[in-house]
Amino acid sequence: MRRALTVFNLVVIAVLVLACALIPQHAGELTVQRLTYVGIYFIALVGLNILVGYSGQISLGGYAFFGIGAYTTTLLTLGKPGMELYGHHPPSWLPLGNGMHAIFTIPIAALVAGLFGYAFGLPAQRLAGVSLALATFAVAVSFPQILKKFENVTGGGGGLNLNLPETPFGLDVSVPHWLYYEAWGTAAVLALVAWLLLRGRLGRSLGALRDGEIAAVSSGVNPTAYKTFAFGISAAYAGAAGALFAELVAYVNPDTFPASRSIILLASLVLGGVGSMYGALLGAFAMEYLQIWSENMPFVSKEASNQAPAVTFGVILILVMFLAPYGLAGLLRRVGRAIIHRLDTKTVALSQSRRAEA
Amino acid sequence: MRKALVAVIATAALVIGASGASAMTRTDAATPGISKSLITIGGTFPLTGPASLYAPIPKGMQIYFSWINSRKAKSDGKRGVYGRQIQWKYYDDQYTPSKTVELTNQLLLQDNVFAIVGSLGTEHNQAIRPLLNQRKVPQIFVSTGASFWGTQAKQFPWTIGWQPDYIAEGTAYGKWIVKNAPNAKIAVFMQNDDYGKDYLNGLKEGLGSKASLIVSTETYEVTDTSYASQLAKQKASGADTWVLLTTPTPTVRALATARALAWKPDTIVINSVSAVDSVMNAARNSAGAAYVNGAISSAYLKNPTNPKYAKDAWMRTYYRIMHKYAPGIDARNGFYYYGFAKGYDVVRVLYMAGKNPTRQSLIDATKRMNWANPYAIKGVRDKTSATDRFPISTIKLIRYQDGSWTEFGGLIQGR
Amino acid sequence: MILFTVSEVAQQVVSGLATGAIFGSLALALVLIYRATHIVNFAQGEMAMFTTYVAWELMHRGMSYWPAFALTLAIAFVGGIAVERVLIRPVENKPILAIVIVTIGLLIALNGLAGWIWGAEVKAFDSPFPNTTWDVGGVAVSTQDVGVFCVCLVTVALLWAFFRFTTVGLAMRSVAINPTAARLVGVRVGWMLALGWGLAAVLGAVAGMMAAPSAFLDPNIMLVILIYAFAAAVLGGIDSPVGAVVGGLLLGVILNLLGRYVDFIGSTLRLPSALAVLLVVLIIRPQGLFGHATVRRV
Repeated sequence: MRRALTVFNLVVIAVLVLACALIPQHAGELTVQRLTYVGIYFIALVGLNILVGYSGQISLGGYAFFGIGAYTTTLLTLGKPGMELYGHHPPSWLPLGNGMHAIFTIPIAALVAGLFGYAFGLPAQRLAGVSLALATFAVAVSFPQILKKFENVTGGGGGLNLNLPETPFGLDVSVPHWLYYEAWGTAAVLALVAWLLLRGRLGRSLGALRDGEIAAVSSGVNPTAYKTFAFGISAAYAGAAGALFAELVAYVNPDTFPASRSIILLASLVLGGVGSMYGALLGAFAMEYLQIWSENMPFVSKEASNQAPAVTFGVILILVMFLAPYGLAGLLRRVGRAIIHRLDTKTVALSQSRRAEA
Repeated sequence: MRKALVAVIATAALVIGASGASAMTRTDAATPGISKSLITIGGTFPLTGPASLYAPIPKGMQIYFSWINSRKAKSDGKRGVYGRQIQWKYYDDQYTPSKTVELTNQLLLQDNVFAIVGSLGTEHNQAIRPLLNQRKVPQIFVSTGASFWGTQAKQFPWTIGWQPDYIAEGTAYGKWIVKNAPNAKIAVFMQNDDYGKDYLNGLKEGLGSKASLIVSTETYEVTDTSYASQLAKQKASGADTWVLLTTPTPTVRALATARALAWKPDTIVINSVSAVDSVMNAARNSAGAAYVNGAISSAYLKNPTNPKYAKDAWMRTYYRIMHKYAPGIDARNGFYYYGFAKGYDVVRVLYMAGKNPTRQSLIDATKRMNWANPYAIKGVRDKTSATDRFPISTIKLIRYQDGSWTEFGGLIQGR
Repeated sequence: MILFTVSEVAQQVVSGLATGAIFGSLALALVLIYRATHIVNFAQGEMAMFTTYVAWELMHRGMSYWPAFALTLAIAFVGGIAVERVLIRPVENKPILAIVIVTIGLLIALNGLAGWIWGAEVKAFDSPFPNTTWDVGGVAVSTQDVGVFCVCLVTVALLWAFFRFTTVGLAMRSVAINPTAARLVGVRVGWMLALGWGLAAVLGAVAGMMAAPSAFLDPNIMLVILIYAFAAAVLGGIDSPVGAVVGGLLLGVILNLLGRYVDFIGSTLRLPSALAVLLVVLIIRPQGLFGHATVRRV
């Protein structure tokens, strides 16, 4: 059974990778662009998964770190000359340089966001459950206001235009395709890293802390180290995603990163399925496509109300919690398990009957 | 095991197939959005969320276009523009600039629009301006009064504004204060963003050497609902002239709060965006008529609730068409009227773009505007040139009294 | 310019007490539910907003203020019970994340629904208090503010009396302390929880109807007030009703004074200041001013 599951997983992943690589050849520009967003959200959700799914800490502040990554990329791609062109004068102690291509900013954005996440995690790891939810929510709500306050660095409420994205290194790839592969390439790498981390000690320790902190601590797991690390790495992933987002949208401002997006980020992860990579992937699809689909719902006419998508989203969230608390991935896992089990027992029965015949 | 493999490969095939199926088919038309029978234009608006009170604007535009599509033009007897029906598509960007970018891409790639028309929001249009200019897509008549649509026309030639910009309006107020209350002590209450700042810059410019008359400047955040703290400070500054550079809902709150703090400045100036009936009525109900009577603002369009225009032929046309195509809605809402008036200018430039319009011919048309929009106040003209990219820059001051605004003084050239 | 005139400080304090009373009223609702169920109801603000719209609708159709007020409270009570029975009961024993998501789903749905039914144009809301302002030694004190403050105090007093002197109140308190033991002595735990939600909804409706006259009614006004209410509840002690009100009043005053006299904060960082208070309290003294510290025995 175990072997069957692993093989099944490998096959599914292989298919997904293949599909991912081939889709741009066959899909139109709009679909490619939307799937790029899916890739970006996937990165953020993989990170959030480490924090919420494996470490069991509720975070309603993920999008704030996403925003930190986005702004980091913005500042680095514009550089000092770019900022001054727009009439902003960032403080001289900021190492802004002369502007670089966005792709190089991804690790820096991840690092900066990760540091902020780690710094937040230090005091916050004492909190749990509802208190942590409130604390992280506080971060998400304060974030746009803080951006507005430090106008010199962030461009204030008016925001900053990045240079329109370009394919680097003279590659012969169209810009939308470049952005797509950049996002999914990064996503693949980061997902692999996350998987490896979670397979090892990190995953086991986080799981132990989540399932029974007192027991874990008595077994020698250092809660501070692991919990703050979880915060840091989750923020780093969000930062990397934010970097790609800034490159794609080519504009950032405080209103682009409201607290409601942090809520939607967590809600999407829950919809997709907390605690699993597939859940993060499905959640990413939900985050991008649910809005698009619910705007075209059959019985709810847009003429009647523009609020229908919001109401639908809220209702769907509630229903999913009732019917499928482990999200879509949980549902699929149950179905998949049933299929595998059925096939497995049939295989066993088949081989037994063959042996009997022989 | 083999079965599982087959099932998985089938799924993969479905996935790839589905993505291929969703690939949009590009029209073979030489100009996107223009076919033999249709002109497709689109825009983004905050239909939900914090700025949803502007939602009537695209609806007003839609109703105007519906009328154009069904009436026979006097010039050639054809319906629509030279026989082409106007297809107007608009989406809800929830007042979030990143959504504006996504939806504008959707309009371009999926709906194949000819031009982006009237999208609302300063930051929102700022977010899409570079990409539209790069793709040479007209971004015309944006629904925001930021001044840089006009001042940065050289870098962004495919973008043009429409209404009198905030700096021009602020300048008009500044000049009026200097003329009528040269010893005023001015308190400015403004939204803490480019909207407020543009207005303030205009005000200071209009005040000129008397800019020191401003004794107090306070800001508020869009997220806050209570301004008692800031207004108490403004009251304490001893100001007797109060300039409100605030969006509609905060304007109501500010007026009510000031009244509750027993602060009654001699002169209250309210920016034109907030001088709409719903705001003034709500303010009148809560702060009392005596408080809001005498408030000054400015306008460039006729006010659909002003009794002066009750018999105006064009106002009658407006109400007639509104009632015909949308009988249930409240046509007195100034935002429907704004969309309607804008629709007039949109159709006019579409005509100017010629019988075989291209994106280039459309944007060129916006450089040769020179007419009087009949829905605007008499004397206000749409005028542009290669160097002047501010279509409407004439305004008139108005004064509020017992439920309606009355125009006074002459026309003011903002630029 | 920093003018430390006594009357201006007093003015800021008075205004702060008025806004703080509204924070406290909503915080009371949050505390009530938290005490009974250890759930933070993220939808509390939206429930309050929705019931305030119901009141507006009743008054719009001709009902005068006090009958509309009373009917709205009744509707809110029933609504709160319904939410607990229908939405919260099924996920009671699920992981805390599920419950948080359900309340968030309710928040989103109610916000959209209110916009759907009543539109987004701002509406004026009647106040039971006359529109007068008194001058007390240079400080403008509006009757509206005094009224809101008194209503808040009366509410917390009534709530205290309810818990202290009635059998039902006692039953609810017992459920909050030890549900299993309560069940053993015959308390219908499920209905007590529902009752708690019903009462919280009533408190929310009161908060909404007190806030609406000055904030003016639109679907988004309670979102921010909810955040201030969280900060107030945490500051006062998330399981203490008295703490909720004291926390609210204190927060209102602190925010006003900080905003007026600390230039760096001004109005831009007003909301983050409240949240900074929340964070600091959570980290340094999680039980707030009046709450009980939980001791985990290993």
